[in-house]
Amino acid sequence: MMSQHDPNRGRRDGPPDLDELFRRLNQRLARLLGAKPPQGGGDAPEPAPALALKGSLLAAGGVALALWLVSGFYVVDAREQGVVLRMGSFDRMTDAGLQWHFPYPFERAEIVTLTEVRSVEIGYRGSAQNRVPEESLMLTEDQNIIDVQLSAQYDVKDARAFLFNNLAADSDAKDIVKQAGETAIREVVGKNNVDFVLNEGRGQIAVDTQRAMQLILDRYGLGVRIAKVNINDVQPPAPVQAAFDDAIKAGQDKDKLRNEGLAYANEVIPKAKGLAARLTAEADGYRQRVVATAEGDAARFRQVLPEYNKAPVVTRNRLYFEMMQQVLSNTSKIVVDQKKGSGNILYLPLNQLLDVSKPGVSLPGAGPAVPPAEKTGPEAANAGEARSGREVTRGRELGGR
Amino acid sequence: MDKLIPIAVGAVLALLLLSLSLFTVDQRQYAVVFQFGEVIRVLKEPGIQFKIPLVQNVRFFDRRIQTIDAETPELFNTREKKNVLVDSFVKWRVVDVEQFYKSVGGNEAAAVSRLKQTINDGLRAEFGKKTVADVISGQREQVMEVVKRRADADARKIGVQILDVRLKRVDFPDKISTSVYDRMQSERRTVANQLRSEGSAEAERIRADADRQREVTLAEAYRDAQRVKGEGDARAAAIYAEALGKNPEFYAFWRSMEAYKQSFKDKGDVLVLEPNSEFFRYFQNPQGAQKSK
Repeated sequence: MMSQHDPNRGRRDGPPDLDELFRRLNQRLARLLGAKPPQGGGDAPEPAPALALKGSLLAAGGVALALWLVSGFYVVDAREQGVVLRMGSFDRMTDAGLQWHFPYPFERAEIVTLTEVRSVEIGYRGSAQNRVPEESLMLTEDQNIIDVQLSAQYDVKDARAFLFNNLAADSDAKDIVKQAGETAIREVVGKNNVDFVLNEGRGQIAVDTQRAMQLILDRYGLGVRIAKVNINDVQPPAPVQAAFDDAIKAGQDKDKLRNEGLAYANEVIPKAKGLAARLTAEADGYRQRVVATAEGDAARFRQVLPEYNKAPVVTRNRLYFEMMQQVLSNTSKIVVDQKKGSGNILYLPLNQLLDVSKPGVSLPGAGPAVPPAEKTGPEAANAGEARSGREVTRGRELGGR
Repeated sequence: MDKLIPIAVGAVLALLLLSLSLFTVDQRQYAVVFQFGEVIRVLKEPGIQFKIPLVQNVRFFDRRIQTIDAETPELFNTREKKNVLVDSFVKWRVVDVEQFYKSVGGNEAAAVSRLKQTINDGLRAEFGKKTVADVISGQREQVMEVVKRRADADARKIGVQILDVRLKRVDFPDKISTSVYDRMQSERRTVANQLRSEGSAEAERIRADADRQREVTLAEAYRDAQRVKGEGDARAAAIYAEALGKNPEFYAFWRSMEAYKQSFKDKGDVLVLEPNSEFFRYFQNPQGAQKSK
């Protein structure tokens, strides 16, 4: 602990009126010494040189006394607190301002800075890159090694306790706070498992460490308040960093896979719903169509039926011929007049017959009844009907309506 | 006048003498007054004290809490015969300065090394009873408490109180650290594999569920569609039956005509006809008489 005792504090050089001051001091000293009368302390007038000598001696004594008294002055800053010890034991606290204590050896003042926030670093020095592995590596509850860097901010809450209870290596007691921090963080980390420490637990660990440090330091009566503990960095140690990173990546992969599944679902299900809607709509369309068709057909039939009932034969024939005309006019026809009982097998090269668009196809005779079909290429208007004078005819000539 | 100089000199001498014989005992200290190496007085209270100058001298001992911080971690064996590196610090203070002075001869370094030895023995004994798991997590407090109590009992003999014994590092030595790292790596791999397979499984579940939903949706849609179509068919059938039932025979004829028209209507349909049907009745014979064969 540094003593603020400084005998030269507040000393002023050359007061303006030395003579005046000395004279007054002399009077006071004379009065003071009056209690213990000096030998030969008569007031007999003395010769001038002797008087001068006496005066200067008294003056010297006075100056010494004044200096001694002045040495009791000390200044306490707004951020500081003074602690005054009287004859070695605590006497009083003093606040900001110009203060005075009885000079040495009766009293002395010590000054403690209160508001300044001090901080200690555990696991690193200055910057995170500058690691101190023997401080930062510690074991978790599940016996994993982990690398933690933290800092603690603290200030003095009780100047008296701060001064008197602990012997610290430096004036801010940083060593003591740091020891508490080291033991506290390891205790806290040792009670949690690695995943908690690495991930969601950082805030909690800082809080628990702060509490543990405060408890330890209060037990020592250090008189400080741990304002904040920062877990600056928590990492797996370098040799296993890759494995930990991969585990984190695996978590992301899991999400990715899941999202791919969801993407598939989001594609398939709406499509199915769309298809279902289409089926439903089509079914509805079908229903309306068949009903409408039925209604149409039924209506038509109802119209026709009375007419038919009036003249059944005529109507039937008419319908039949209309049908035949329409059918025969639109299709390819081969009329074969086969004598009953003729033993000839009729051969019709159908695939050639169907290939009506090719000009000049000659059909091999399959019997007397089938002469080669003559193609009429140029007569496109006849729509490629195969005509063979006798057997092939055109429905149109059979008189329509 | 002639007496003044002697007075001044006397005063100065007196002050000098006073400063040599006066000393202040701070409340943070004990003071021991020696005369020719012998302890004359032990001062435990703060205050201004006198000593005979040049004959007696004073030694001060700190009464504040002091720290022994083991600079180098020590190797201890746990119950399962594993080595752990342990680093601790001790908080102690002098409570009985006479005892302290007598036992260590005022040599604080000797006191410190003795305390260290005591603490070490205590830790060794305690660690031998505990597993690694106990000392890093569960029973740190108990270990520290037990060691503190034993060390305190011993330290009282030299006038010292042990206030606290605290563990800082409890780590594995490098050799074991390597195997710990291996284990950590394999644990992480396990976790990673598990996460990935969980992801795959979940994705598969989601896909399968999507497929299921698709099947169900389509099947239900088909069901409903068929139902609707059936409704249509039924309505249509009813309409037909109602209308056509009036003359089924004619309907058959009429409908057949429609069907023929619809069925044969392009050049691809080849009809091979015999000209003796009703249609060709007049084709060969304008009288329409059927040839009798």
